[in-house]
Amino acid sequence: MKRQTAWRVFAGEFNDSNVEVKGEGEMTPSFVVTPLGAKVNRLFIIGVLTDVENISQEGELLRAHISDPTGVFTLYSGQYQKEVTEALSNIDVPTFVAVTGKARTYNPEEGLMYVSIRPERILEVSADIRDKWIFETCKNTKDRIEAVMEAMKMDESNVNELKKLGYSRELSEGIVEALKSYENIDLKKYVTLIKESLQYLRPSKETLPDIKIDKDEKEIEEEIIDDKKKEKVTIKKKRN
Amino acid sequence: MVKDNLDSYIDDILNALGDDFKTEVSRENIEKELSKFMEYGVPIDQAKQTLIKKYGGQAVLTSSEQSSERKLISDLQPNERSVNLLCRVIAINPKEITVKGDIRKIFYGILGDESGTISFTAWNSELDLERGDVVEISNAYTREWQGSVQLNLGDRISIKKTDKEKLPESAFEPKTMKIVDLRSGVGAVDVTARILEINERETEIDGETKKIFSGILADETGKAQFTSWHDFKFKEEDVLQITGGYVKSWKGIPQLTFDQKATVKKLDKSKIPKKDLQINKMPLFMIVEKRGALDVEVEGTIIDIRPGSGVILRCPECNRAMTNNECSIHGAVEGKQDLRVKLVVDDGTGSVNSALNKELSEDLLGKTLEEYKKMDEVTMLEDINKKLFAHRINLQGNALGDEFGTSLIARKAKLIDFDIQDEADKLSQELEELL
Ligand SMILES: [Zn+2]
Repeated sequence: MKRQTAWRVFAGEFNDSNVEVKGEGEMTPSFVVTPLGAKVNRLFIIGVLTDVENISQEGELLRAHISDPTGVFTLYSGQYQKEVTEALSNIDVPTFVAVTGKARTYNPEEGLMYVSIRPERILEVSADIRDKWIFETCKNTKDRIEAVMEAMKMDESNVNELKKLGYSRELSEGIVEALKSYENIDLKKYVTLIKESLQYLRPSKETLPDIKIDKDEKEIEEEIIDDKKKEKVTIKKKRN
Repeated sequence: MVKDNLDSYIDDILNALGDDFKTEVSRENIEKELSKFMEYGVPIDQAKQTLIKKYGGQAVLTSSEQSSERKLISDLQPNERSVNLLCRVIAINPKEITVKGDIRKIFYGILGDESGTISFTAWNSELDLERGDVVEISNAYTREWQGSVQLNLGDRISIKKTDKEKLPESAFEPKTMKIVDLRSGVGAVDVTARILEINERETEIDGETKKIFSGILADETGKAQFTSWHDFKFKEEDVLQITGGYVKSWKGIPQLTFDQKATVKKLDKSKIPKKDLQINKMPLFMIVEKRGALDVEVEGTIIDIRPGSGVILRCPECNRAMTNNECSIHGAVEGKQDLRVKLVVDDGTGSVNSALNKELSEDLLGKTLEEYKKMDEVTMLEDINKKLFAHRINLQGNALGDEFGTSLIARKAKLIDFDIQDEADKLSQELEELL
């Protein structure tokens, strides 16, 4: 089987996903379709690893969070991902990490879907590499927005028509699926998301965003505590 | 073709593959591939056969009793038996001949499919065919006559008229195509390209020596290989319009094949200036979807440095990389050390593998094999990861596809740095214009 593309998707887009295309049988992969039509089986993300926690009473199941300029990715890594699980438990947080992983879904009830990532590989990276990922992801997200806009112009969005415009088969299929499955796709939201992310890369041009690469450790720690609080709040919400 | 109509064909394919295959081949995949064939105007039966064959099943002519695979006319060699074809009658004429004193009526004419045409003789006086009919023929045989392959419809043949839509007129019209769009299975193309390289070789067909010309041609969209079975007397750097060729492929690399039935017209060289023939840079999905390509440039992020990277041992006999001091073919041998890096390069639209040889690796890493030999493995891999992982890389070379995906056989490799603030400014600008 061919290798699955590692999509560049911000947490802010990925976490908005509530559509899954399930593969039939073991050999066919499943995909999470984001509102911008990314048809994600595998992702490549870079961000700040903020916390790692063993959430299993008996064995080992780690939950970790990786923050990017737009939100937070949730990772679960267990005994079947031995190498990553071990690596995760040995990394001191916070630090910049790159993760390749598979999109996973959790459906607590009908119509409700949460996405997470099952990491395949994790490596620490530099701030400079993180910035490049942000840029690349901004660019790919913008490409998707443009493709969705093209599809919206069509009477009925169509994979072949999108392909003719130069988009990949995967993205074309994802966009057709997204337009079918999402009530309304808030393109403005994702444009804003890109704009905010770009601010991280242009410190001289605008006011500084709240996470900056060269700030001191104390600030980062405070922020992480903040993040954890936020996380607890959202978890409570989900359980209610 | 409407999607609903494909369903029954997909069923046919799955049935032909049998239960063993159903777990491995998804309906979705087959549908995808089948729709692709439809898109390129491949007749449904041929598409079906191809997919069945691809997944290891026994190709079956579903609509007829015959259990043998359909052949394309362009693939026919002299002296083949049991030839099965789906073709259109392009010309048919009766003729009276004398056999052992008796006058007998036979037919002769031309048959065609999307790959080409062939002249035929039918030894059956009752043949009820007319021009334009689409027929399924089984058990025909071939002979060589005056240097070309002839089809004979003898006593044993079965011939059946079938739906004309199985081989629509459009399958015969040469389609004007750019080289980047050439894909295996496309018959009758019209390509304008510059010849970059020609090699001449001789081959023996049926006791006769025949010259074959092969090489590389290009237009502004890309490069492809070609094979000409006829001496059209063209030279390197000629710009040609080649009408009536068909496309085969090897590991995804398209090969334009043509013979004396094709038209080759020499055009003014300014039609495709040499300066336009730069290496084509393309997003990775394009290469993955095409499976392979000749001489392309790609750029992406190194998202993995795979096991087997760094200092390795190669078998002195066969040059294979050894594992645990053993060659998989030659067993325990004294290996010689080499350096390589095996990368997964991904641009967010597609993913390729690329193994870089010693020269390219040393260049990228800024260290020599000798220097890495002195390190322990952990230090070496850390160094390699630090220099390459998550960096952007630009590769040039041939892309080859197989069942595990596409590999880029790199001829050149360089890491790409870019001014991130500059690029971010540009992107912000573009974003302002977007909504
Ligand atoms: Zn060997």
